[in-house]
Amino acid sequence: MNTLFFVFLFCILNFQISLSFFSIFETSTPSLISLVIYFFIVRFNIHPSSIILLITGFLHDIMIGNNIGITPIFLLLFKYFTNNLILEKVSKDNQDEWIYFTIIFILSFSIVFLINLIISFSLPKLSPIFFHVGITLILYPLINISINLFSFVSRLIKS
Amino acid sequence: MVSGKPSNLKSFKSSKNFNFILIFLCLALVFLGKLDLIAIRNIKAFFSDFLAPATFALNKPVKEIAGVFEDVKSAGSLREENIRLKSEVRKLRVINSKSSSQELELLELRQLLKVLPEEKNKIITGRAITAPGGVFANTVLINAGKDYGIKVGHPAISSLGLVGYVVNVGLKTSRILLLIDINSMIPAYLTNSNWPAVVQGQSGNLLKIKFLSSKAEPIDGEVVQTSGHGGRLPPGINIGKIVKSFSGKFYVKPVVDFQRLTFISVITNKSSESFSSKTFEGFAPLQKPKPSINLKGLNLSGKRIIEGTEN
Repeated sequence: MNTLFFVFLFCILNFQISLSFFSIFETSTPSLISLVIYFFIVRFNIHPSSIILLITGFLHDIMIGNNIGITPIFLLLFKYFTNNLILEKVSKDNQDEWIYFTIIFILSFSIVFLINLIISFSLPKLSPIFFHVGITLILYPLINISINLFSFVSRLIKS
Repeated sequence: MVSGKPSNLKSFKSSKNFNFILIFLCLALVFLGKLDLIAIRNIKAFFSDFLAPATFALNKPVKEIAGVFEDVKSAGSLREENIRLKSEVRKLRVINSKSSSQELELLELRQLLKVLPEEKNKIITGRAITAPGGVFANTVLINAGKDYGIKVGHPAISSLGLVGYVVNVGLKTSRILLLIDINSMIPAYLTNSNWPAVVQGQSGNLLKIKFLSSKAEPIDGEVVQTSGHGGRLPPGINIGKIVKSFSGKFYVKPVVDFQRLTFISVITNKSSESFSSKTFEGFAPLQKPKPSINLKGLNLSGKRIIEGTEN
């Protein structure tokens, strides 16, 4: 199960990186990995291990040439905030989920952005960062609807 | 491990602590990585080599699909593109006819002035394995490494101009830091006015111009090339063109399209290896005349010799 989950996350990461071949994602790509982790925790009640997130993050950093440790910090923070903010508070209302996802994603991303800012000593252009955050938040309801539709159709077929 | 919802509070708390320990460990690694230690660089290079085939295989289908989409998109504007290209070809023909005669003149003048011979660079071309898909980093991995003599600091170019320079080398792969990355700084000069400057990436499409003299007056559309200052990059490689923003600030727009990079060439020997003192003919006072066949009645420069007035 662990290996399978790790392979799945690795494939998602690769897909996320390769999305920049599309002209629409020229500026930056959405964070599919955070969407996947969030859905796994909130929807399917599957908690990915911290070690798996750590390794996946390291691999991502190596693949894209980031400073080693940036992505693992983001993923671990994301998992921590999801566990602490979501699980007790969220009702099964989808709108709540989206709002919590927005808060968690922005919070984790801001911390990582701050670390990056300290390391590089200069402020990067903010448009790719806003695009990255924006496109990830827009993708959330689309994927959510797709999952709902898929489960509805599968239930319909079963009945 | 992949688990269900934490059942008891104790295990949840311990996992929370473990999570924090890991975060601090990563934070330490981030700062260690910034120190540019050789060990960390080697680990990165090793894993890049190791992951390269998997990354290439996983990226390939998406790249192909993206290519199909781009083709379909461009098919709609084929007619306009054709007209534009025809006019461009006409202009280029005129420029070509002029430049060929100018090139000959330039060569002659260079020979007359004994200009230092230009270094012949050895170029290694590799295929880009990854796309520059990071938010904080803009790098590309190519499938050529130490085996081909690539070293850290070597400049990477495409057919259009400078792409960046090598920051990490493995046995089979090399990582190239793109011009647009925030950590990239290139010594450059404005070709019209010859003012030197430094162009810095800002993780966007445009490059910032730094250390440009206040007396300099950049022109919109002026070409910016590498100056070769510092000796790390060869001079005269195209970087981009000056563009003026709405606020009146000047930026450099790179000529290279970083999203469409397929092949990248690395200049591997811009050292003094290619410069040989035996072939160099400079320093006029010390040079000896080349032994050549002389025609009777003509001197070395081809002038007619009148007997008795030779000296």
